[in-house]
Amino acid sequence: MRLNRDRVIIIGGGIQGCAAAYFLARRGQDVTLIEKDHIARHASGVNAGGVRRLGRDLVEIPLSLASMDIWQSLESDIGVHADAFHPCFYVKVALDEAGQKLGLDRIDSLRKAGFQHECWLDDADIRKRLPHLSCRTRGGILVEGDGWAVPWRIVQGFAAAAARHGASLIEGCRVLNLEFDKECWQVTTSQGLFEAGQVVNCAGAWAADLARQAGEPVMPLSAHAPMLAVTERRRPILPAVMGVLGHTLSLKQLDTGQFVIGGGVRARADMQANRGEVAIPELAASMRLATTLFADIASAPIIRCWSGIEGYMPDNLPVIGRGSKPGLVHGFGFSAHGFQLGPGVGEALADLVMGQQPRISLEPFRPDRFEADT
Amino acid sequence: MKQGSYHDLVIIGAGPAGLAAAIEASAGGLTTLVLDDQPAPGGQVYRQIVQNANSRSARGYLGADYWSGHELADAFARSLAELRSECRVWQIGKDRDVFFSQHGKAQKVRAGAVLIATGAMERAMPIAGWTLPGVMSVGAAQTMLKSSGSGADGAVFAGSGPLFYLTVWQYLQAGLTVRAVIDTAPARLGLRHYWLALPALLQPGLLLKGVRWRREIRRKTRYISGARSVGIVGDSRATGIRFRDARGGELTIAAEHIFIHQGVVPNVNLTMATELDHRWCPRQLCWHPRTDIFGQSSVAGVFVAGDGMGIAGAGAAVLSGRLAARRILAGKNGRSSGVPLFWRLLKFRQTAIRPFLDTLFTPPQEWRTPEDDTTIVCRCEALTKADVMAAIAMGVSGPNQLKGYCRAGMGRCQGRMCSLSVQNLIHDHTGVPEDRIGHLRIRPPIRPLTVGELAALVDEDASE
Ligand SMILES: Cc1cc2nc3c(=O)[nH]c(=O)nc-3n(C[C@H](O)[C@H](O)[C@H](O)COP(=O)(O)OP(=O)(O)OC[C@H]3O[C@@H](n4cnc5c(N)ncnc54)[C@H](O)[C@@H]3O)c2cc1C
Ligand SMILES: Cc1cc2nc3c(=O)[nH]c(=O)nc-3n(C[C@H](O)[C@H](O)[C@H](O)COP(=O)(O)OP(=O)(O)OC[C@H]3O[C@@H](n4cnc5c(N)ncnc54)[C@H](O)[C@@H]3O)c2cc1C
Repeated sequence: MRLNRDRVIIIGGGIQGCAAAYFLARRGQDVTLIEKDHIARHASGVNAGGVRRLGRDLVEIPLSLASMDIWQSLESDIGVHADAFHPCFYVKVALDEAGQKLGLDRIDSLRKAGFQHECWLDDADIRKRLPHLSCRTRGGILVEGDGWAVPWRIVQGFAAAAARHGASLIEGCRVLNLEFDKECWQVTTSQGLFEAGQVVNCAGAWAADLARQAGEPVMPLSAHAPMLAVTERRRPILPAVMGVLGHTLSLKQLDTGQFVIGGGVRARADMQANRGEVAIPELAASMRLATTLFADIASAPIIRCWSGIEGYMPDNLPVIGRGSKPGLVHGFGFSAHGFQLGPGVGEALADLVMGQQPRISLEPFRPDRFEADT
Repeated sequence: MKQGSYHDLVIIGAGPAGLAAAIEASAGGLTTLVLDDQPAPGGQVYRQIVQNANSRSARGYLGADYWSGHELADAFARSLAELRSECRVWQIGKDRDVFFSQHGKAQKVRAGAVLIATGAMERAMPIAGWTLPGVMSVGAAQTMLKSSGSGADGAVFAGSGPLFYLTVWQYLQAGLTVRAVIDTAPARLGLRHYWLALPALLQPGLLLKGVRWRREIRRKTRYISGARSVGIVGDSRATGIRFRDARGGELTIAAEHIFIHQGVVPNVNLTMATELDHRWCPRQLCWHPRTDIFGQSSVAGVFVAGDGMGIAGAGAAVLSGRLAARRILAGKNGRSSGVPLFWRLLKFRQTAIRPFLDTLFTPPQEWRTPEDDTTIVCRCEALTKADVMAAIAMGVSGPNQLKGYCRAGMGRCQGRMCSLSVQNLIHDHTGVPEDRIGHLRIRPPIRPLTVGELAALVDEDASE
């Protein structure tokens, strides 16, 4: 029998937790993933599914690119059904002078930092790629090969792959307390006590609570509920995922013909009730932008709006790294753009647990980077 | 915020519950606004009552009960309450902001209190062939009669329940021929029906009416009782209806128009989307918002009245509307409200017949969960029973998770039509009690709202 010290417990069945479980199990680790609701119940299962490198914070780009490598090999390597991911292109257009300046400055700073994945297109090029666009643009930024995925199926895919490699997934089980006792973590849950040598905190918007229980310094994590709307089916007019420079719009057309609109606007997260509120009127600005881009969308009925609970950090960068207690690793605070990062984060978390050097530097995501301010 | 968009009370629904509440509240001095999606007041039961006032023939064939709604509509017209018709309410937001869309524009009003009086809807009827052209619900057949004075000649009616017999009777009164009436209520009554009929004697008028309708239907149509295994036949449209009669014989009746019905359930879309607490009602086999006798829900300042609280009929709807208005008035004037015992008695008398009716007309199991694997359960996504069962077999925990596996409830009706059927299938398969399985999470907008309509909401705000 293996010692409990060899066990790794992952808290949270979102994309980060499931990807980490997969990479650890594949490397032969004894992994138990604990999820209080069900796999992909929260942000990871209800997000907009945008898989984008475009527009990432400069310090996040290496992680995003590393993650993209894994996205490319989802089916061959991990066994996630490929039609859950639809690569296309991702474009953010400028609608005014301010947007154009944002875009051109961005390309400039990317080039200086040595990145080539984003490129600038002028209005004519954009209209060639998006012939149904109803407005003129002042150019825009494009990344080839970004796209969208069915988030729920991707997360389920990672969970199933982890299980195939021997991970045990426990749903409907809440971690109530975390305590380090001599050489083991004592993880008290609604289904009893678990022991583990290492604990990975992938609890999303709840992660700060768990960190606090584990005796970590206070984490400035806040919870909000980004919102989305989906329309009825329409004829296909949008072969890309779109945004507008200087705005938070995310707009795509699924293969069902339905438009998904929203992303940046957020409502209140009701942590007590375990769900995000929906405040449709707040989505009005996104609707206006969407109809500016494609007049056709105006007549599409919205059939459903929803939101998901997400954890935000003050600098909009995630927390990924070892905590101050032995055997504790954090991966949370993805500030509404963690879905694309998920596979890469899962791999990096597995490296940390196993004491290996991750492919990319995790320095910008250090858990203690806020300590000086508090 | 625009001037004048605040009202002490905003009522959603201009049926008997909403109208009665509006009359009472405005008489008590509350500024009252009623929002309703129909072109005229009346709700389901008194649909088009004002327009039909001048039609002698409509008075005749729709019956005295229908006509009695005229008094209510008159009193409402004389009241100070304001009605805005053709408004689709799509969300009740924080702090009782009520959002609706009217004539292509999204708008908002603010309310001191909100009364949800959105009534009932027909229970979905997932029997073989129910989605074929030519098949309609009995409620839709009645709506035709009330709003345009027309109906289909030579139709077959199948199902049971008060609205079922009433509509057949109205069709006959209007001089339309009815080819056959296929009754799915149990042919023989059990002992408990008679016990439950005792309190029902407090509403003798209703009991007698039921007896009269049935007698007339038996006399004027081909009437078949105790029918089982009902299904619609036809390829691209309905050509007939097949069933087994009480003796087990297989029968098919040819017809182009087939009207089916298996009772009504509270229209809980708005109460669910407003996140009021609900409870499963085992007697009516549906969800009711949890309220006190005054209709106060689990959310402060949000009330429910009428059939949306639980199916109790037009008389009880009027009473519940008045009760809610009294409580809101009392709250506004800082008084504790009324004489509960008197109201309780009145309410008991008004609803005394329900246990009897609910038990007598319990929808048959085979209409709640289809017998055939190929029968459609979710119309919007065209999912059959087999599709849904395959997803259930993957181990889903409830209708919300099921959406991810098979898209049931993801279409334009947002699960209005399939939620109860899906819940039933999960219940049959897993044995988990229905209240634990839960309802599909209903997300706003609960009424169609176009992207353009919502975009227009911003323009209005920005110009202020
Ligand atoms: C509406 C919306 C749109 C978005 N759009 C995009 C997009 O287009 N592209 C993109 O890249 N990102 C997007 N995001 C962000 C992305 O979804 C998140 O960053 C990402 O899913 C976070 O994953 P996670 O695993 O950290 O968190 P989660 O998915 O929230 O998982 C955390 C899990 O931990 C569980 N948990 C918490 N506490 C406990 C406990 N005590 N015991 C047991 N389990 C516990 C929770 O139940 C939860 O399931 C969007 C987010 C939302 C909400
Ligand atoms: C199709 C149908 C026909 C019926 N016919 C009869 C009958 O003939 N006789 C009888 O005794 N009982 C009938 N009933 C039962 C009957 O509905 C009730 O007993 C009675 O009408 C209940 O009154 P109410 O005020 O609660 O609701 P209703 O009378 O149903 O009034 C609710 C009103 O709210 C409106 N509404 C609902 N949602 C919204 C929204 N989101 N925005 C704006 N407006 C909204 C509806 O259009 C309706 O006008 C019928 C039920 C149905 C479903």
